[in-house]
Amino acid sequence: MISISGLCKNFRTGDHAVAALQTIDLEVGRGEFFVLLGPSGSGKTTLLRSVAGLEKPDEGEISLNGKMVYSRSRRISAAPEEREIGMVFQSYAIWPHLTVAENIGLVLTHGRSRMSKKNAMERIRHSLELVQLENFEDRPARLLSGGQQQRVALARALAVNPALLLMDEPLSNLDARLREEVRANIKKLAKQLGSTVLYVTHDQVEAMVLADRIAVMTHGKILQIGNPFELYRNPANALVAEFFGSINWIRGIMVDANHAKTECGVLCIDDARRCDGAVIVGIRPEDIRLERPSNADENRIEGRVMSSTFLGDQVIAEVKINERTLIAKAAPDDGKPEGIMSVHLPKSKLVVFPDRAEQQSPLDQRIEG
Amino acid sequence: MAALIPVLALLLLVFWMAFWQNGPGEPIVYTLNHYRNIFTDSFTYKTFLNTVGFAATAVIVSLLFSVPTAWLVERTDLPGKNLIFMLVTLGALLPTFFTAMGWVFLLHPRIGIVNRFVVDLFGLNQAPFNIASIIGMGWVEGLGLSSIAFIMVVATYRTMDPSLEEAARVHGLGIFRTLLYVTLPLTFPGIIAASIYVFTIALSAFEVPAIIGMSNKIFTFSTFIFYKIQPLEELPNYGIAGAVSTVLIVLALLLSWSYFGVLRFSHRYAVVTGKAYRPRLIELGPKGWILAWSFLGCYFIVAKLLPFLLLIWAALLRYFQPPSWAALSQVSLNNFYGLPWSLLLQGAWNTLILMIAVPTLTLLICMAISWTVLRSGLRWRLLFDAAAFLPHAVPHLILAIATMFATLFLLHNAFSLYGSLTILIFVYTVSRISFATRIINNSLAQIHPELEEAALVGGLKLLQVMRKILVPLLKPALVYAWIWMALLCYRELTMASVLVTSQNNVTLPMVVWGLWLGGSLNQAAAANLVVLAFMLPAVLLYFIFGRRSRVSETV
Repeated sequence: MISISGLCKNFRTGDHAVAALQTIDLEVGRGEFFVLLGPSGSGKTTLLRSVAGLEKPDEGEISLNGKMVYSRSRRISAAPEEREIGMVFQSYAIWPHLTVAENIGLVLTHGRSRMSKKNAMERIRHSLELVQLENFEDRPARLLSGGQQQRVALARALAVNPALLLMDEPLSNLDARLREEVRANIKKLAKQLGSTVLYVTHDQVEAMVLADRIAVMTHGKILQIGNPFELYRNPANALVAEFFGSINWIRGIMVDANHAKTECGVLCIDDARRCDGAVIVGIRPEDIRLERPSNADENRIEGRVMSSTFLGDQVIAEVKINERTLIAKAAPDDGKPEGIMSVHLPKSKLVVFPDRAEQQSPLDQRIEG
Repeated sequence: MAALIPVLALLLLVFWMAFWQNGPGEPIVYTLNHYRNIFTDSFTYKTFLNTVGFAATAVIVSLLFSVPTAWLVERTDLPGKNLIFMLVTLGALLPTFFTAMGWVFLLHPRIGIVNRFVVDLFGLNQAPFNIASIIGMGWVEGLGLSSIAFIMVVATYRTMDPSLEEAARVHGLGIFRTLLYVTLPLTFPGIIAASIYVFTIALSAFEVPAIIGMSNKIFTFSTFIFYKIQPLEELPNYGIAGAVSTVLIVLALLLSWSYFGVLRFSHRYAVVTGKAYRPRLIELGPKGWILAWSFLGCYFIVAKLLPFLLLIWAALLRYFQPPSWAALSQVSLNNFYGLPWSLLLQGAWNTLILMIAVPTLTLLICMAISWTVLRSGLRWRLLFDAAAFLPHAVPHLILAIATMFATLFLLHNAFSLYGSLTILIFVYTVSRISFATRIINNSLAQIHPELEEAALVGGLKLLQVMRKILVPLLKPALVYAWIWMALLCYRELTMASVLVTSQNNVTLPMVVWGLWLGGSLNQAAAANLVVLAFMLPAVLLYFIFGRRSRVSETV
């Protein structure tokens, strides 16, 4: 459905160029809900806008629905109005001088389809029904609330029957409760209509709830593409692991294929990735087991509980092993963790990455600190 | 507060003036005759129609340039945008009396070279163009005001959320349809606001009607008022001037009120997105660039370069004539040698004092006003804001007349301010209060109050806080406002024309104006070039220190 290869884009700010996209390759299948996830400045919006034709890349090719819409080498660059897309903007971009019906009607009667007023009316009603805004036709758009504007924007994007639906952080201007509601509705609509969706967000929960597949981006590059489970359980590198939920890092050196000598003692490791030399070993807080002191066993280390915080459904504990402090989540029924405890780091849950300085610039401080 | 009393006092004075039966100095008898006279005299209605026609032409001419250019600058990939901004700024600084004189040499029915050329070419009996007409004067005024209109329309485009246009593009509307159904309707209130603003300025504009119209007996309100207080044959009639001024003030206030109404309406459409990206620029391609720049080139040549060249040509000749071999042989610098140099030097000295004193004084006053409005929490602080706006709504010519009236008849026993430089400093300062307050308000609003509170908590006194915290933070805005006001002082003719009565307080534009009124057009042209040369260092300073993309705040 979307096929992107070798896409590059540089932005010029003053004298120096910033690489917004660095050789992006991406395939999105028909009917797929695909999320671009990354922190601000990662290039995800630039990628989306390049697909929409609102940004002109410097290199590479984009084809939509089997039709080439951008190709540097073949000098193709279709205007936005020539691409079969619908789009929901972060600011919704609801035209304030028109009514709700006119907002949708304008793209039907004067857009790609040029349908008659009568047919358009039918379609307007239908798309407003989809977003549950019946009887809002004659309302001036600028008098709507944020959530309603968001829904009109969605109705407008759906009304043109787009081959591809683009969404640029459509939920970021809504309050938390409304966000969950609209999120669920978007997911339901997308499945019901079988739309192909390209969706940009910086919120990993949003991405996991909505996506069939996610591409994690930073600094204009795609770090990993996969479904939510893969990205959480099997991150390709430390940055992806950091981006999805919290994780503890332990520095160490591999002594053989399955054992690392770390700050927390020797750990047995089951990660399929083969690393040697200096490594960082990661484990998510909920995977750490705090047990009563017992015989030292595989990956069971003595640690001192420095503090513990009761949060209702879980207990967050800070456990100190030698000089390294780990965060652990425990079930509240197991009693309050305190004193010296045996810390179990299940080997199947350990991930390991080479300890390369350039890859961990964001992590280093945390490890050192 | 003390700073605002003069403004209100001057206004009341104008109202009062209109009820005096006799000339000043005689016992005061009140009368309504002046109002009765102006409302029964058909000349008033003719002048009214003239003025409205003049202002409306100016609006149309300025929009014809500013709307397309603003769109080109903000929404297309046209190269050389910085150059456009620079040329527009230069255009805004070029004195209007300067271009007005150039246009007289171009299109005057008798001496204008274009007319002479066309008449000779086609053997016409009558000159085809007449600059000394309402349309002609409106044309010149409109070209002069197009810079301001441009800056305002650009601001409308900037505050508009670009994704409103992008939403139209991605859903299938082409460039033209997007322009028609989305961009234009959304920028319409902003364009209307700019039109009202330009209309208000043109309504009370003095320089163009004075340079072009007065000698041809075509009056607008401003020249009519001026004529009543400095008539050639009869005694000054302050009562009539006061009555007409009152009408003009009421009109101007009404327009300003509607301006703010429309502006508020247009702000309803404005969205601050905080998105870092620039809107997608429409690709014009080389052909489009050539077309766009031809349009811009024509504008700059017609509006600025041509009048300038004509002035140079006129300055080099003893009698004005179209360029020819015969005329070329008469070219000399005699006009420059013959200029009243001692007067010019006196004028330069006075102008220099004004350029330093007025901006400094204005900024001191406006710092106090802005601080009171935004920070003091005083109960009547919004009243300050409204009062600071008054000098903008009241035509500057009327401010000057009221001041003259006051110095001549009310204060003459106490101080002898009439014909002094002090009185010019006073009026210039009062007239710039609106401009400076607006700029300082804008900058001050962006400085978080906690920055000052932190200093207060740290034990600094209020004045120290101003000096150590506010002034350094506001410095870019202050520098910009200072230089811009100095330049406006330099070119000010309207207020000087009323208040300059002796060699003591003569200013440079007044020397030019004096020569022009005296009929020595070619000498006036020469003097104009000298005046412009004096201005260059100040303009250079502006481009070095003052600019910084702050052009958009000049309105």
